[in-house]
Amino acid sequence: MRERNRKSDKIIIEDALKHIYDFEHKKLDSTSDSLAGNLQIRKRASSDLIDKLLQLKLITKFQEKISLTENGRSYALKVIRIHRLYERYLADKTSVHENDWHKEAEKREHDFNDEEINRLAASLGNPLLDPHGDPIPDALGKMHVKEGILLSDAEVGCVYEITHIEDEPKETYAQIVAQKLFPGAKLKILNKDDRRISFESDNDESILAPVLAANITVIPREEEAGEFGVNRLLSSLNQGETSRIKEISKAIRGLQRRRLLDFGFIPGTEIKANLVGLGGDPVAYEVRGTVVALRKNISQHIYIE
Amino acid sequence: MNKKEEILDLANKYRWEIGENFHDAIIESIYKEANEISLVAVTKDKEKPKFDWDRTLDKLVTSRTFGLPLMLLMLAVVFWITIQGANIPSGLLANLLVDYLHPLIRTAFINLSIPMWITGLVVDGAYLAMAWVIAVMLPPMAIFFPLFTLLEDFGYLPRVAFNLDNIYRRVGAHGKQALTMSMGFGCNAAGIIATRIIDSPRERLIAIITNNFSLCNGRWPTQILIATIFIGGAVPAYLAGIVSAAAVVFIAVLGIFFSLVVSWGLSKTVLKGEASSFTLELPPYRPPRFLQTLYTSLIDRTLFVLWRAVVFAVPAGMVIWMVANITYNDISIAEYFINWVDPFALLIGLNGVIILAYVIAIPANEIVIPTVLMLTVLVSGMSGGSGAGVMFELDSVNDTAMILHNGGWSLLTGINLMLFSLLHNPCSTTIYTIYKETKSIKWTLISTFLPIAMGIIICFITAQIYWLIF
Repeated sequence: MRERNRKSDKIIIEDALKHIYDFEHKKLDSTSDSLAGNLQIRKRASSDLIDKLLQLKLITKFQEKISLTENGRSYALKVIRIHRLYERYLADKTSVHENDWHKEAEKREHDFNDEEINRLAASLGNPLLDPHGDPIPDALGKMHVKEGILLSDAEVGCVYEITHIEDEPKETYAQIVAQKLFPGAKLKILNKDDRRISFESDNDESILAPVLAANITVIPREEEAGEFGVNRLLSSLNQGETSRIKEISKAIRGLQRRRLLDFGFIPGTEIKANLVGLGGDPVAYEVRGTVVALRKNISQHIYIE
Repeated sequence: MNKKEEILDLANKYRWEIGENFHDAIIESIYKEANEISLVAVTKDKEKPKFDWDRTLDKLVTSRTFGLPLMLLMLAVVFWITIQGANIPSGLLANLLVDYLHPLIRTAFINLSIPMWITGLVVDGAYLAMAWVIAVMLPPMAIFFPLFTLLEDFGYLPRVAFNLDNIYRRVGAHGKQALTMSMGFGCNAAGIIATRIIDSPRERLIAIITNNFSLCNGRWPTQILIATIFIGGAVPAYLAGIVSAAAVVFIAVLGIFFSLVVSWGLSKTVLKGEASSFTLELPPYRPPRFLQTLYTSLIDRTLFVLWRAVVFAVPAGMVIWMVANITYNDISIAEYFINWVDPFALLIGLNGVIILAYVIAIPANEIVIPTVLMLTVLVSGMSGGSGAGVMFELDSVNDTAMILHNGGWSLLTGINLMLFSLLHNPCSTTIYTIYKETKSIKWTLISTFLPIAMGIIICFITAQIYWLIF
């Protein structure tokens, strides 16, 4: 029983390395106390854990400050690689809700060996980013550094693309998701003061508190400033009306995205709303000579001209 | 860095240069090039067609007013042709295989001085079960599947899916499940194979697990017989026909209701995380290819399913013969089992005979009633029937009713048998097909035991209500 209640050594060590890596990345000093707080263990257990990590030569300790050794860093990166790849897998290959991606990945990140994780990566097409926009360390343990600024520092009147949304804490992330923001979404800052930042995104106008906006990383997309505006959605096309597809939103991923591309839903394609189903959903669209019915929860993520 | 790492490193560098969107970009470029080629190579008739048949027909079959009535009419016609058309060949096959050949083979075995137990096992058990399955299963399937395939080939069925998608979306399923469900009315195993048309993994699993709630061809005769005897018998004679027919339709509609409720439950719980997508192509209408349709539906569907059923019927026929003939202290295994399970069975308004019949007649719902009759005669020691372990059916509904009444059946037994016939495990052919299609023991077990659990609960509740009233 005791064994089952206690997390195994492997899991604790990996979680500890992740925490230390995270603090180093954020240029903070990790200590025995920060470790105890992050892993929710007692201070005694935390200093025992540090002794063990020192013994395994995964960390070094200078006064109170802990740093990763070369081995420790590469181990931490491996765990991060598994975590992010698993999130990518959940996003592309399952219907697990995005609020649960992080939690699921936390559970499974300790279960893969090198060979299994490389196979998972290959089956996903060796993705570069996790669904939150974080770079995935490669098989050699290298991680790409992404540039960008925080949304809270963005300038009024400029157009940006979201590159990353911090997935912790969970509540904050759920609030951002509820605003229908995701990596790849473009937005234009309308107004900004101490209490709120308002902006228009591809499909909506939103307001965020600067605290929340600080969890979002963006890069400037000035080249698209000219044509930026709230997009018209395919779901708003009236029966018999014809338009052209502008873009499939990044919110459509994995299997569904591939099906749409296979049917020829690509930018510039002429599309006509042909038949409206009973109750207004689904609607059958004529694309490249075939008629394909889509439900509203999909057609509202396809932008038209 | 060694050579392998260098290459991997380079590959990663290029991946970052290409970016995340290259899948989209590749497909875009393929379409672009295909477009350029077709502009040069394909010439189109400039003149627009005066009358677009497809769109006009589409407007009609998906219209608010005509869409649903037209669909119900089409399905009703298909079922009517199947039931009417299957009667005669089914009767002929039963005459040939059961009434004529069975005694003939039996006599031949006896004349060759083959031991009685081998004759019983092979002729009364294996052969008879196989003969029954073929006689009852083959004709309706040979009519239903080609008709269904013709509608599919013509292009009508995707429009039905389009019309009904609104309902199926609300329960987390795919509109095409309407089609696999209808196919299930013919045969659940065929309905489950038909779920291949659903390309989304989650919705396909939902369609597979809920297909058993379509009252299949093997269960309709049971429903009609029991409704005629017990429900029709409980009302004045001039109402008997209409009331018993209504009872059968009610059970079928109840099945549709359960399939929707269970779909909803599955999509919200165990199947929540499975991958899901939705696209529904409405292909152009085209004249059906009769010969090809006939060939493929007979070979791919009818014979395929029939073969699987026969493979399972042969050993089950032997088991049925054995439980009735192997005795200990002059009491057959069947009787031991029936006495043992009776207290529980009576609690849910059934009886031990019915439970045993559903256990040993697992290969096909078609042989449930013959097995029930054989067991009832065996247990009650009545005269009649064809001997221990030999399944039989009577031409006269009244004689059948008499045997069942003598076996202690009440109106409640009749009602609950109808409910249990709807809500019990799929036949072994279907279970095997579920495993073949899902390649998963977990989903096979869920598909098998979920309906049994529901059947037991519903029968129990019905029995309690019945005893409150009567």
